[in-house]
Amino acid sequence: MRSSGNITWTVWKALFLRETVARLSSGRAAWLWILLEPVAHLAFLSILFETVRQIMLPGIEGALFITTGILGFLIAQNTALRCKDAISANAALLAYRYVHPIDTVLVRAALEAALVVISGLVLLTGLGLLGYNVMPYDVLQVLMAVATLWLAGIGMGLVLSVISELIPELGKVVAMIFRPLYLVSAVMFPVAVVPAAYQDVFLLNPLVHGIELIRAGFFSPYQYHTVPGVSAAYIMGFALVTICLGLALHVRFVHRIVEQ
Amino acid sequence: MIIVDDVYKRYHTDLGIGKWVLQGVSFTMPQKVNVGLVGRNGAGKSTLLRLIGGIDTPTRGRIERRCRVSWPMGFSGGLQGSLTGRQNARFVCRIYGHEKDIPERLAYIEDFAELGEAFDEPVKTYSSGMKSRLQFGMSLAVDFDVYISDEVTSSGDAAFRKKASGAFRKLADRAGLIMVSHGEGTLKEFCTAGIWLHEGKAHWFDKIQDALKEYRKSI
Repeated sequence: MRSSGNITWTVWKALFLRETVARLSSGRAAWLWILLEPVAHLAFLSILFETVRQIMLPGIEGALFITTGILGFLIAQNTALRCKDAISANAALLAYRYVHPIDTVLVRAALEAALVVISGLVLLTGLGLLGYNVMPYDVLQVLMAVATLWLAGIGMGLVLSVISELIPELGKVVAMIFRPLYLVSAVMFPVAVVPAAYQDVFLLNPLVHGIELIRAGFFSPYQYHTVPGVSAAYIMGFALVTICLGLALHVRFVHRIVEQ
Repeated sequence: MIIVDDVYKRYHTDLGIGKWVLQGVSFTMPQKVNVGLVGRNGAGKSTLLRLIGGIDTPTRGRIERRCRVSWPMGFSGGLQGSLTGRQNARFVCRIYGHEKDIPERLAYIEDFAELGEAFDEPVKTYSSGMKSRLQFGMSLAVDFDVYISDEVTSSGDAAFRKKASGAFRKLADRAGLIMVSHGEGTLKEFCTAGIWLHEGKAHWFDKIQDALKEYRKSI
């Protein structure tokens, strides 16, 4: 008899390969688009940044500022939204009793992390070749902040995956909320430029904390000042709460999901 | 050995909670016994097979599997439409722990299912006959102690049916079998024992003839 740990491991491996194949072979040159997504964001925002020049950050290069914001935002958003659809995309495979709904969600989160890390490295290497200084000031803090944003993405994905299975309409509404989130997550401007009166409202969004923390680690404290309200504990707490809630929802509704 | 202990099942439908399909089903299936499952349409035969196969869980009660039990062969599901036949087969080999000899098992499935070039096409382009051939091949390629079959011998064209019943014959000799079929001949050919499902309860008979007799009396 195989142990349950061994079974789960083989299921994760098989699902990971299945998801990777699907992701990289859907449509023509799908792998290229995965790399191009952050590049396209970067190009678009760089043009905005360079031509409008509303925000002056002395000593900080616009391309690096935007890159850190985009990568931080994409890892949280893509993880959450891909995980949201993980169960319905693998519905047929739930017929095998070793495959649980939560396996599909966790495997997608792992794949998304791998893809963002790869496209981030490609992007930073490219900028490095163009002459930008892409070595982070504090590598550990950048990695911590990216990991926290990913965990927040998993937490949201776990919750959304159950919700969109049980109440599909609500799942669609939540996906819509993610679009404007891009504008208010400090991707293209630092929180410091937000008027003081609105900063508290702004900082309710946990992604802002993660993205600001990436920048605080990437640039030296002489170059980049973040606002005092930015806190690692806030986004970590958010990640912890959503992950626990998501796991609880999965335990509670696993039979209902498989039955469908 | 499979122990089914006081199992109840009802489904959630769009109209709320449905009525009980199974109400206190209990039996113990010994190793290496072939069992035929009989009952009227809607008596809960497929539901019971899904519960034993682990696709679904009982609302109440417990099912213990002390051996490797297959998924219900012949049910529609378990094939991911966007993946090719080969990728689906590979996935199943992996999750059932046959990582090491995937090429041999894939070759067996490819040969058995006779899909030709379609084996490398997405499953969503398959006809239902092609799907059931692939599924049949997949369940034969994985080692199980007990196979669960839902009308599987009646799928496909005449040539495939002949091949399927030959493969089934060999299966019945080496492993246990739980099968649903509306053909009495098929049941008598493959099964020794029988279970008669009636009004949510299961009745075990050591001889399939007795189960069929009770079933005929009830209709």
